[in-house]
Amino acid sequence: MSTIPSEPRAYRPGKLAKLIDGLRYQGGIGQWSWLVHRVTGLGILLFLIIHVIDTFFVVFNPALYDHTVAIYGGVIGGEYYWPLRWAFRLAELGLIATVLFHAVNGVRVILFDFWNDGCKYQKESFRAVMLVFLALMIPAAIAVILPLASAPEHTVKIPENVVTARP
Amino acid sequence: MARNRIKPAGGFELTAWYFMRISGLVLVFLAVGHLFIMHIANNVENINYAFVAGRWTDPRTGWIWRLWDLSMIGLAMFHGFNGLRQILDEQVHGAKARVAMHTTIWVVMTALILVGSYAIWMFQEDKAYVEKWKSLNSKAVATSSVGAPTQVSNVQASASTGE
Repeated sequence: MSTIPSEPRAYRPGKLAKLIDGLRYQGGIGQWSWLVHRVTGLGILLFLIIHVIDTFFVVFNPALYDHTVAIYGGVIGGEYYWPLRWAFRLAELGLIATVLFHAVNGVRVILFDFWNDGCKYQKESFRAVMLVFLALMIPAAIAVILPLASAPEHTVKIPENVVTARP
Repeated sequence: MARNRIKPAGGFELTAWYFMRISGLVLVFLAVGHLFIMHIANNVENINYAFVAGRWTDPRTGWIWRLWDLSMIGLAMFHGFNGLRQILDEQVHGAKARVAMHTTIWVVMTALILVGSYAIWMFQEDKAYVEKWKSLNSKAVATSSVGAPTQVSNVQASASTGE
């Protein structure tokens, strides 16, 4: 650890000023697309870790898997809780938005790397990214939110684990 | 090489640089396609054990979904954990902390790839459980057949083969 020479107290920036200064990485659209690309990437990775673990339930405990995915539909132990269902639906929409942004902006980043003049059009290409993102998100949002208008299609009854002879 | 862009000169970092771009392009199709099948074409509330089992063990198309999911888990895990490594490389400076960080990232990534691939590769349908589920939920039928046979067609298929 290197020691930072102390500055006169009057010139030391506060935490908020440091944060704002730290975010001013080149500035403008390029900085924000860079930051959002990183944050969406980390968010997808966190979701993937959970998703791999819950899907692993299918190989050793079908009832546990059905109990878990029923929670995503707002049902815990046979009881239906509508706020839970709404929360998971909105989170689902957030997941779709996160993946779509990361995918479309990722294509933009690849264009910068393999097309010589790509960086010249970084602002215009970001506008194109947002247009494509919105064009995909609007129908996706309708498809995801619309089922909330009606009650769940069925109340799921989950059987106890059935012991099966496995070869 | 595009102007103003940083590209590693060689070695592991250059391989990782190419991997991130190629896997990214492949994942645009695999991951966005997976989201489309699971969240738009099907209602996510209808996805359950019977759905997953019907998808992976379908005699005609099961291998396609297993291959799809196996490619996706390998590419997505490498892509995601390598991205995490690149972010943390800029934040973690101590030599010991970097070794600990890299070790943790690769160990967790390998474990998740093994766990997920095992589930996809070794999955066998628990037929008794699915039959019990169907008898308890006789009215419940998957609303769409994209990516998976509906539960009704499952019943018909097993009836026609005399199982």
